[in-house]
Amino acid sequence: MTDCGCDKAKAELEEYLHRELSPEDFQDITDHLDNCEDCSTEHLVGITLTLKMQKACQEKAPEELRAAILAKLESAR
Amino acid sequence: MLAQVLERDTRVPGDLDWALMSTETPLEGDDQAGTATPLEGDDQGTDASTAEALRTLFEEQALPYMDQLYAAAMRMTRNPADAADLVQETFVKAFQAFGQYTQGTNLKAWLYRIQTNTFINTYRKKQRDPFQGSIDDLEEWQVGGAESVTQSRSTRSAEAEAIDHLPDSDVKEALQAVPEDFRLAVYLADVEGFSYQDIADIMKTPVGTVMSRLHRGRRMLRELLADYARERGIVAAPTSSRSTK
Repeated sequence: MTDCGCDKAKAELEEYLHRELSPEDFQDITDHLDNCEDCSTEHLVGITLTLKMQKACQEKAPEELRAAILAKLESAR
Repeated sequence: MLAQVLERDTRVPGDLDWALMSTETPLEGDDQAGTATPLEGDDQGTDASTAEALRTLFEEQALPYMDQLYAAAMRMTRNPADAADLVQETFVKAFQAFGQYTQGTNLKAWLYRIQTNTFINTYRKKQRDPFQGSIDDLEEWQVGGAESVTQSRSTRSAEAEAIDHLPDSDVKEALQAVPEDFRLAVYLADVEGFSYQDIADIMKTPVGTVMSRLHRGRRMLRELLADYARERGIVAAPTSSRSTK
């Protein structure tokens, strides 16, 4: 197992979070997070922020909007 | 997730093969969405039934994204009336251009491109954004970013916990306060789960720009949420002494 160290991990945490790393880099960071409480805590903040946003940003389109769009499509026939 | 379920490939029925005859980049310019009218076309005989089939296909495939597009529109325009107008315009344009959409490609990203274009070209103009064009003001955020990375571990544990305990309204308010380009990048990546490349296509910027907007946008959000948490007395641990507004 390789440990890439905190510098690399911290620099790539967001790409890690967004699944934008190569499989090798992804594994390096995963290994490092397993062993480094500091970096894994930083990662926890990142995940928490993402999950919180996903939850907070749920919306349902108003019924009037749905009806208006359906009417537009209908008239485009 | 719902998005993934909806994103499954939808095979093209045999009688709609012409829908595949599209350009590589169907929506390069915003105008194209408006000018393409595949419905009033070539073969007269089957026009009515073809148009009908296209409409049915559009309703089946595109309409399920309405809630998501509305949620994104709320974050873009920051008010329900403009959000509703934006989504309606997006669907009208998407329907007009639907003949150019290549079946099997990412419909969600295609719809977001139309909506983002429409927003940038129409709604952004009439909205006031205190940060628009004042990139210098943003440097302060970056400096703050460097500071909070060096926070202690316990402070960061507390930060995660505080974020978790904040009401959803605070998160939305914080997002509203983040300048538009940064907010969009964050929204598309974190809420919608688009890849950096998809976001680059949607926002018409290089991937590197997407990454820096994402980093800075998330940094700003963290700082704002840390402030809100402090104001609410949720977190006792001090973060930075800077004010964020």
